[in-house]
Formats: sequence, structure tokens, C-alpha cells
Amino acid sequence: MGRIVILPDAVIDQISAGEVVERPASVVKELIENALDAGATAIEIALEAGGKTSITVSDDGTGMDRDDAVLAIDRHATSKIKSASDLIGVATLGFRGEALAAIASVSKFELETAPDEDDASSEATRLIVEGGRLKDVQQTARRRGTTVRVRRLFFNAPARRKFLRTPATETRATVAAVSVLAFMRLDVSFKLTNDGRSLTDAPRVSALGDRIESLFGRSLAEGLIPVDHHAGNVSVRGFIQRPADAKPTGRKAFLFVNGRPFRDPFVVRAAEAGYRATIHPGSRPTMFLSLGVPGDTVDVNVHPSKLEVRFRDRRFVEATVEEAVRRALGPIGAAAVVGPGADWLPEAAAASTVAGAGYPPSSPEGSRGSAPSLFGVERYAPAHAEFFVADGGFLQIFDTYIVMQTPDGLAIVDQHSAHERVLYEATMSQLNGEGAPSQRLLLPLTVDLEPRELEAVEQNRAQLDAIGFEVEDFGGRSVVIHAVPNPHPRFDARRCFEEVVADFARGRFGGWNNQLERFAATYACRAAIKAGQVLEQREIGTLLRRLFGCELPPHDVHGRPTIVQLPREELERRFGRS
Amino acid sequence: MKFTITREQLQEGLIAVASTVPTRTTLPVLSNILVEATADGVRLAGTDLDIAVSTVVPAEIEAEGAVTLPAKKLVEIVRELPSAGIHFSASGEQRVTLECGRSRFKLLGIAPDEFPSFPTVSFDNAWKMTSADIQNLISHVVFAASTEESRPILNGVLWEMREDRMRMVATNGHRLARMDIPVSGGAAAADLIVPPKALEQIRKLFGPADEIEVARSDNHLGFRAGSTHIFTRLIEGPYPNYEQVIPRDNDKVVTVDRQALAAAIRRVGVVASDQTHRVRLSFSSGLVKFSVSTPDLGEAEDEIQATYDGEPLEIGFNATYLLELLKVMPTDEVRFTLKAPERAATMEPVGWDDPASYLCLVMPLRLVD
Repeated sequence: MGRIVILPDAVIDQISAGEVVERPASVVKELIENALDAGATAIEIALEAGGKTSITVSDDGTGMDRDDAVLAIDRHATSKIKSASDLIGVATLGFRGEALAAIASVSKFELETAPDEDDASSEATRLIVEGGRLKDVQQTARRRGTTVRVRRLFFNAPARRKFLRTPATETRATVAAVSVLAFMRLDVSFKLTNDGRSLTDAPRVSALGDRIESLFGRSLAEGLIPVDHHAGNVSVRGFIQRPADAKPTGRKAFLFVNGRPFRDPFVVRAAEAGYRATIHPGSRPTMFLSLGVPGDTVDVNVHPSKLEVRFRDRRFVEATVEEAVRRALGPIGAAAVVGPGADWLPEAAAASTVAGAGYPPSSPEGSRGSAPSLFGVERYAPAHAEFFVADGGFLQIFDTYIVMQTPDGLAIVDQHSAHERVLYEATMSQLNGEGAPSQRLLLPLTVDLEPRELEAVEQNRAQLDAIGFEVEDFGGRSVVIHAVPNPHPRFDARRCFEEVVADFARGRFGGWNNQLERFAATYACRAAIKAGQVLEQREIGTLLRRLFGCELPPHDVHGRPTIVQLPREELERRFGRS
Repeated sequence: MKFTITREQLQEGLIAVASTVPTRTTLPVLSNILVEATADGVRLAGTDLDIAVSTVVPAEIEAEGAVTLPAKKLVEIVRELPSAGIHFSASGEQRVTLECGRSRFKLLGIAPDEFPSFPTVSFDNAWKMTSADIQNLISHVVFAASTEESRPILNGVLWEMREDRMRMVATNGHRLARMDIPVSGGAAAADLIVPPKALEQIRKLFGPADEIEVARSDNHLGFRAGSTHIFTRLIEGPYPNYEQVIPRDNDKVVTVDRQALAAAIRRVGVVASDQTHRVRLSFSSGLVKFSVSTPDLGEAEDEIQATYDGEPLEIGFNATYLLELLKVMPTDEVRFTLKAPERAATMEPVGWDDPASYLCLVMPLRLVD
């Protein structure tokens, strides 16, 4: 007897704190969520020593009266649900009623709160709690809202305190947590400081693009492409990075489902799959994607920190994300822009604010939801043929770039990259069984190769044949080519063959996993017309027509753009017409 | 330098020379025409360094001398002048006055010693031929030369001189044209590889009745008819052995109306791919069927009558190549010979009343099903 005891509440709170509160960032997250649930429109977060010394979160939402405030720091005290049935379709961020109690149990905790001024009985309350024990309740004066100050986090749990990292690391984690929340609520301003230095200053905005700009800077925001796609009952909106801007490191991936942030490497991977053959393998594009799915097909209550979700039909969600990215990359609008792109970004962004349907119900109207004008997808969706005017009137500059008029300005096309994209897509369909017509040669080509190259020919014989190279061993180190592809009138079959074989022998494009894609990319690169090649008007017309007939015209296969746009707005701005 | 010339004679000379003057050049003097007053008349000359043309037109010479004048402006001025005598006089090497009736022009030129010297070609042992024969060769063969720069030798036209015949051959490696014209008492045998651009000048400048002398120096070829000379550099190197690729055992022979064949190819070619222009021809007894299928675009079918009694055969071609051949075929009917879907096809005129013999060859496109 006496070996089993019921734990005191304080101990239970500490155990629970282990789940909810692991570091300053999670404290900040819980406190911001409370503030948002209280209808705040401005939230300020001040850290000292990355939150190890103190964390202060103030908001201007609905505060509490004295009795509620005292209750709030008890475990499972919440205003957000009243019974188990409220759990279904829960629309607030927090609902378990654990957060305040858990935080208060492992810190020196102060809470100042004042309910609405127009409440006659309104007066501000100040609570002081230490290690979960209520030390004092005072009457004080403040305006509407709540301020929570958490000092010396884990002062009574040295084991956990030891696990805190340096202030700089903890600060970074907090910035990331605040960013996630800032994306959910564009109608709320967020300010974050550490030791008085401003880290985040995001004013209230109406467009996601503006928020991205205030959080991550203009250059990132300008390099984004709007995503707006739905299939079945899944919708995907948001922004993805232009392939040309994607880098191997420093990627930002923000995912939301029905307005809640979540983490999911598989969804990220699906989005990357959508970039297939537009980025260099190994590049990691930034993405801000908001998924909308019916509430009963996703389970968000998997873990207290609520970063994992379960989809009922995960495969369909991933396929939809991939398709959404693919489609977003297709329109000509996804091409890089000369001059400040901000002119069109907010417009696009308005179409894709993050918050999903119905969340949260308490939010003020007007800032989100309605899309003033759908710029991206709908305007560009009907093929890209509208760009194409006639077989003439193109300007070729430096024998490398083609300048053409589009409905919205000028497009400058890199002839090699453009042709590479055209040939890549054509080659993929040829390799996938469509087959290619192959021109028999009157005078067969004899090509001398190195042993490594001969091996490369052997390894890729099926693909070489599929695209039209009929290669026969000639004994020794030579092969004879009897038939060649004829992708364009200026095609130099011998040079193309030698370069492709050399590329394979030297392991170029080694990063491509899919052998067919790797082959197509190599061949497309080598067979495409080169920079410096003078083209006739008719040839330019054919090239552009085929480019705009592609699935993803604006990107070549190495993560470079094929098209740079000079929007009419930019011209007008520069000539002072706007 | 001082001379008087009729507008018509000057204009005729300028037209001959001006077509050689390059429109864009880094060497300013090449934009000019050399005007040289000699005892024989006025010599006009222009060059782009690859091809040079000179001609002599009669004029009343008062003082010999030479200038160069901007070709474009000179041609435009002469075109606008009334039909009357034009009086040229130069003060120094670079200032020229033109007077015609009451019109007066002063033009600035470039010193004549900056003008490139012409290749020296001796016409002592020249081949002699009629312009009509050369025109015949040029108009049937030159089109087949390659325009793509990877094999410079194929950018030229092979001209074989033999005792009893001369022959021109051109190919781009996918199709070939070959024509023989019998000659009598020809001079030394030679194989010349001539740039098509030069042959195009020959075709334009010499009338069908002209007697033409052709002579070569080391790496230049000269043409002379009357007082007009054309010089071109030759392309060096051995021409590929074309004889061995001309099929001798094509056992399937189709005779077909040239116009009808071309019209059918043009029709179905509308939906052929921009890239390969591939059309499929199926030969069966008395019939040629055409079909085209282009992914993402559509399909087309057509058929025409033909004289054929061999085994059925299906073969693919680049429509552009076939149309080019049919355009130059000199007769209403043509003969197609074939062997197999991956072997060369030949095309010849049927019933041509010309001593020349003419053969074209085209390689198929592989069909993928």
C-alpha cells in the first residue's frame, strides 16, 4: 500500500507542460493562439535572451474579469469548448485548456488582463503565479487586452532548462513560430523583438504576398508564382517560388490545412514533384501552400502541438498538390519579370490568402476571403496560344534572345532555353512510346568514341533508338549512325550525338533520378538551337508556337527561365505614364 | 577621271554589279562600287570578298582614272535620272560630280586603292559552254545543297568536268540531286566545289544565249561572258563519294503525275508536324495513298492514281524534301523507284526531251507505329 498515489495537480501540470511547452517558441505559440482566439488585432511579442530570461506577449483582444482570470490558469479551463460535442468542428486554435496552466507551472508567470471597456464591471486584473502556485491577485489598470509575462522558464525544472539552446537558436525558433501564425492571420499585426531589437514587424495586410514581403523581404516575394487549383473537394492555393530562384538551401515551406499550419514532408515532396524537370535536382523551392479540405476528411487533433495532421485520402491530397504546382508553373505569368513585380503580386495574392473556409469564426470580416480580381490562373489558363500573333514581327537580339509583344507587355525569350523546353517535352513523349520519326542518312556518320562513351551508348541504346538515332557498332571504338532525329533544320546530328554521349560518359545531369528524364534533358540540351544562331522569322514563329504549346513554357530543364517579361505597367511606370 | 555615259548603259552595268555588294559589312569599301574609266570603257566592279563581279560598259572617256562610290546611293541616283547622258568628273580620288541635264550631284567616295584586288584567273585553257547548259544544271541541282553549317563541303555544289560530259551534284545528306549534260571536246577533267551563291549570280547575270568561258586558278573559279567577269572562291576538300549511295537495285517503280503528287503532298502536309514534315506514302496496285498523323494536331489522308504493279510498300518522307524535288522536275510525269521503307528512293523525269540526264534521291523518314 502507499506505492500508488494520485499525483498532485502541480505535478500533472508539469507533466502536461512537457508536451505543450518545450521551449520559448512553444510558449509564444500558445500565447499567440490564445490572443487570436480572444479576437486580437495586434500582437506584440518581446523576448529577453531569446525567451530564456523572459517572454512577454501582449494583445488587444477581449480580456478576462478577475474570476475568469483565476480560473484560466487551472488545467482544462477553457472558454473555447463547453462539452465533448464541441470538439467536432472545433474552430478555435486552442481548446484543450492546458496551455496557460502548463506554462504557469514551469515559470514565474504574470498575467494582466482587462475585459472590454464598455463592460460596466470592467476592471483590470493582475495575477502572479510561481511554479503553478498562485501568489497574488491584484487590481490594476490597463486597456482592453491581455499581457502575459513568462520569466525564467523551467526555473523549477532544471532538467528541461538544460535542454534549452543558445538564445540565438531559441530566437530563431520563435521567429519561425511567429511567422507561421502570421501567415494564418493577415488581419492581425505581429511585432516580435528580442532584447529590444525588432525581428518581425508585420503590419495588417489584406494579401498574402504583402505578408510574405514583410516577413521575408521583397526579393523573395517578387519571385513567387500564385497557385490556385482544386480537384474533387481539395483546393490548393498560395505561392510557390519561381524555379529559377530555387536554391539547394534556405528553403521555406509553410503548409496550412483549413487555416491551420501543419508539417508534412510528403506534401512538400509532392509539391517538389510538381517542379519536375524545371529545377536542378537538389534545388529546394520555397512554398506557401494552403490546402482546403472538408473538415471530416482531415484529423488535426493528432498531437498537442498540432503540427501533424492525418488526411483520410492522403494520396489524393498529394496528387492534387503536385498538380497545383505543375499548373502554376505553366502560365506565362510564371515567367520572371523585369522591374518591381510588386505591382502584380498583391493583386495575385489577394486571390490566395491563406486562411481556409470558416476559420476562425470570430475574425473580423472583410480582410480575407473575397478575391477582388483573379489575376493568375484564370486569365492565363486557356492555353498560351493567345500570345502567338503571326509568323513575323519578332526581333532577335544578340542572335540569342527573341523579343515579342504579349497582351500585357513584352516577353523576351531565350532561344536555347525555349527550344530545350520544347524538345524536352517532345522527347519525353517519344520515349514514352510515341516514337520519333528518324531521318535515314545518305552518307552514314562514323563517330569515334572513347571506351567510356561506348559504354554510355550501350547503356542508352534503347533511348537513342527511341528518339531516332540508329547506331550500329562498327568494330573497335567506332559506331556508325544510319539515321538521326531531325528536330529542326539546323540540327547538327554528329555534334549532338557526340555531346550527348560525352555527357553520359562524364556523368553530367547525375542528379536526375529518372533515367528517361535524365536522357530527355541531356538530349534536349544538346539538340536545341544554340545561342548565337541567327534565326529566320518563320523559324522564330515555329519555335514560339511550340513553346507556348508546351506544358511548362516559362522554365527550361535546368531551373533557368525561358522567358523574361517586361510588363506594360513597368514600361508605363518608367515613362511616367502611370 | 572624266567620262560621259548613257543612263541606260550605266544602269545595266550597275545592276550586274550591285547584287554582289553586301548590305552589311565591316569593311566600308565593300559597300562601294569601283568605277574605273579605261580605254575600253567604264569598268564597274563589286565584291563581298567571296564573289566578285566586274563588267565593262561603253562610254566616252575623256580622262582615265578610278574612284569608288557608295553602291546604294549611286544606283538610286541613276534610277531617278532622266534618260540622257551622264557626265562624271572626279576631282582628286574621292570627290565625284555627276551631271545629267540640269541635275547635279556631288558624291564622296573612298580611295580606289582600298578596293580589294580581284583574283587573277587565266582564261587561256578555259572550258567553253553555253549559258543555257549552265542554267540547266544550276536550276535543277543547286537547291539540294546543305544550308546547315556542320559539314561545309556539303554547302557547296560539286561540278565535275569530263571530256564528254559535265555533271553537277548537290546534297545535304538527306536528299541529293545529280544532273549530267553531254559536251563535246571538253577540256581537262576537274572536280570543282562551288558555293551556291556564286552559281546564283551566274544564273542571274548571264542570258541564255551567252557563250561562257570558265577557268580556274588555285582556289578560284572565273566565269567570263563578253566583258562581264564573275569570280568565286572554291570550297576545298574531297566531296563525299555520292556514287556509292545511289541505289542501283530499286525494284519498285512508280510512275505518277507530278502536279497531282505535289498537290496531294501539300494538302496532307498541312497537318504534318512543323518539326519533321513527315508524310506516309503507301504504294499499292495503281494507287498512292498519303497519310499524316500528328499528335496534338490531327490526321489527314488522300490518294491519287499511279502506275504501279509491285508489292505494296509503305514509306515515310519529309514532305518538304519531296515538294522541293517535284518543283524542279522538268516533266509532267515522274518516275519514283523504291526498294524498302528504310532505303533510298530515286525520282527521275519521264519523257524529257533534253540530252541531259537527271536523277534525284531522297532518304526516307523511319516510320514508327
